[in-house]
Amino acid sequence: MKQFRFRYVASIVLAAVMVVTGCSSGGTETESGSRQGGGQQVTLSMHSWRVEDTEGYKAIIKAFEADNPHIKIDFKPFKATEYNTILNTALQSDSGPDILQLRPYAPGIALAEAGHLEPLDKVPGIFTIPKDVLAAATGKDGKVYGVPLSLNSTQFYYNKKIFEQNGLQAPKSWDELIATAKTLKEKGIVPISFGAKEGWLLSLSHGVIAPASYSGTDYLDKLLKGESDLKSAEFLQSVQRMHELIPYFPENYVGLELNDMRTLFATEKAAMFINGSFELEGIKKLNPDLPLDFFPMPTDDGKQVLTTWVDGSYAVNAKSKHKAEALKFMEFMATKKFGELFANQFKRISAVPGVSTDDPLVNKMAELSQSSATPYLMVVNFAEGKPTTKQTLENALQGMYLGKLTPEQVVEEVQKSAATWFPPFKK
Amino acid sequence: MRWLIHLFPLPALVIYTLFVVYPIFSAFLYSLYDWNGIKRGAFVGLQNFMTLFTVEPFNEMFWNAFRHNVFYFVVEMIVQNGIAFGLAFLIYRKIRGSGFLKIAYFMPRLLSVIVIGFLWKLILNPNYGALNTVLAKIGLEEWSRPWLGDPDTALLAIILINCWFGIGFAMLIFLAGLQSIPEDLIEAARLDGATGLRMLWKMILPLCMPAITIMTIFTFIQAFEAFELVYAMQGSMGEPFYSTDTLAVYFYRMAFSSGAGDVTLGLGSALAVVLFCIVGSVSALSLYLMRKREVQH
Repeated sequence: MKQFRFRYVASIVLAAVMVVTGCSSGGTETESGSRQGGGQQVTLSMHSWRVEDTEGYKAIIKAFEADNPHIKIDFKPFKATEYNTILNTALQSDSGPDILQLRPYAPGIALAEAGHLEPLDKVPGIFTIPKDVLAAATGKDGKVYGVPLSLNSTQFYYNKKIFEQNGLQAPKSWDELIATAKTLKEKGIVPISFGAKEGWLLSLSHGVIAPASYSGTDYLDKLLKGESDLKSAEFLQSVQRMHELIPYFPENYVGLELNDMRTLFATEKAAMFINGSFELEGIKKLNPDLPLDFFPMPTDDGKQVLTTWVDGSYAVNAKSKHKAEALKFMEFMATKKFGELFANQFKRISAVPGVSTDDPLVNKMAELSQSSATPYLMVVNFAEGKPTTKQTLENALQGMYLGKLTPEQVVEEVQKSAATWFPPFKK
Repeated sequence: MRWLIHLFPLPALVIYTLFVVYPIFSAFLYSLYDWNGIKRGAFVGLQNFMTLFTVEPFNEMFWNAFRHNVFYFVVEMIVQNGIAFGLAFLIYRKIRGSGFLKIAYFMPRLLSVIVIGFLWKLILNPNYGALNTVLAKIGLEEWSRPWLGDPDTALLAIILINCWFGIGFAMLIFLAGLQSIPEDLIEAARLDGATGLRMLWKMILPLCMPAITIMTIFTFIQAFEAFELVYAMQGSMGEPFYSTDTLAVYFYRMAFSSGAGDVTLGLGSALAVVLFCIVGSVSALSLYLMRKREVQH
């Protein structure tokens, strides 16, 4: 009897607990100063995945608050790998932040499609930002859902001193690049600091090397219309070139990670390093005296291209209680003033055109990203699918470097993945 | 007032229900939906389970990870538990310094898995790692390789590190088992003329069966839930080339691995349910079967 009664009590308690947890929305909602409008104090919450940017944003937010004294902004970053989960959970339980950082392209746009974001087409100044940059936060309905923050560019970094000592110059063609690498190797210097252990760096490097094989946007147009596919000669050549570089990689490169690669380059043991604008700060921190420069990828028709894509935008939560104030911040982000603050604070290329910084390399990247940019195809156009086509390429390239796949098999895999979701290939 | 005693387990029960029972049921529920992590989509019944087992590349990745888990289990049983039993036996026989050894073998357990992963990553680093350096010093340079970047060695390396980490714990369990054997039984067997291997095989092992049962099931659960070390050393992609993928890593990648934008919570939940069924049913079954073979004393 006692046994029975205990079970009875326990089940009621458990049921009650379930009901309570089921109903509460688990509030992480930020305190708002007071009601909307009327010049009263309002505090906006702003979520980001860039913990390392906290200090930089303090200065930027201060500048905004000086012009808008009734708005306070509470910048709250989360660990990058956990950000999406935290954000998605918050948005679903209607407790999301007022302003949120949006992943570029497909993953961010998916939030807009789920109805969580406010369209920003009416924000003044937003269309001063180029259309292909806005594309990173433009939904399939044609509306803009985020103000892009910055461009990432990827390129070959090189050590000026090592190049000069060996009578070398930035290569102007693929053959020159190979000849340069060969010379360096003969002198006992690792030509290219490279590692195949982390997949994302493989697609990133491919993003730098590939555009040389299909120089120009003509091929891209054909590809994106479905008139060509990823098994085409151009794309296959790009993968073959990734293969051709193997002799110029460090010993045991299949086991190297970004850390190892960065160290090899920063300690002047390797002459070149394929990586992004976002690595600039990291390399300089390791070795402030490194004679650093970069060259964009030389193409087969004698031009050069810098691979770029948009890195994150800021968006407004459609359910924010302070939309007007949040939109005000969006307006600020589209101004040149913000662009300059941002570019100098983080040594990054601002998405706002015509912004220059006090760092000559960043300025050179910003310039080239306007004159000779090409999109990072795998992020801009092929970041969908389960697993994504980008991930498929990464894994297949890893297989190629491990001697398990041929370049032909790599493009086969990539095309197979894209064909499962990319509309022009589905026909 | 004695009935009050029945209320004491309530806090634990509530917490257990909230954080263990409820998630298990909700995972089962989620597995029935087409869910990308942002918005719960349509009810799709058992479609996710079908996808997991019939659609490329999901089925390939599942069996690939499953094989790795089995390999994990086999290696741990042989290497970790084999060595641990041997050590436990030596300490049980009271060789000199057994007290120190007991502590020494348990030491790795004191470190967090993340620290262990970091430490071994440094040791195995192909450029400046201690292992390759030592190999070069003793004239075995051709043996040096990118241990964690080579799919032929990466998984085994991780499992062996896990064994190194787990030996101390397994040894303590075996030691407890050995020490619970009544002295007079051993004495009686000795008087009957049992010695050496015969004694070990016919007396000690059967009497140790409860500890062996427990350790086997522990190892099984551990092997099928292998995640932390793989994640700490190779990330959520099971790199290189999926050669270190385990079911738990595959699950994490599918359900949470953010940034990639291909989160499939429904499919991930389906995998979690399958994993739960594997671990639950095999553990229960082996517990039942092995209990039968245990000797009562």
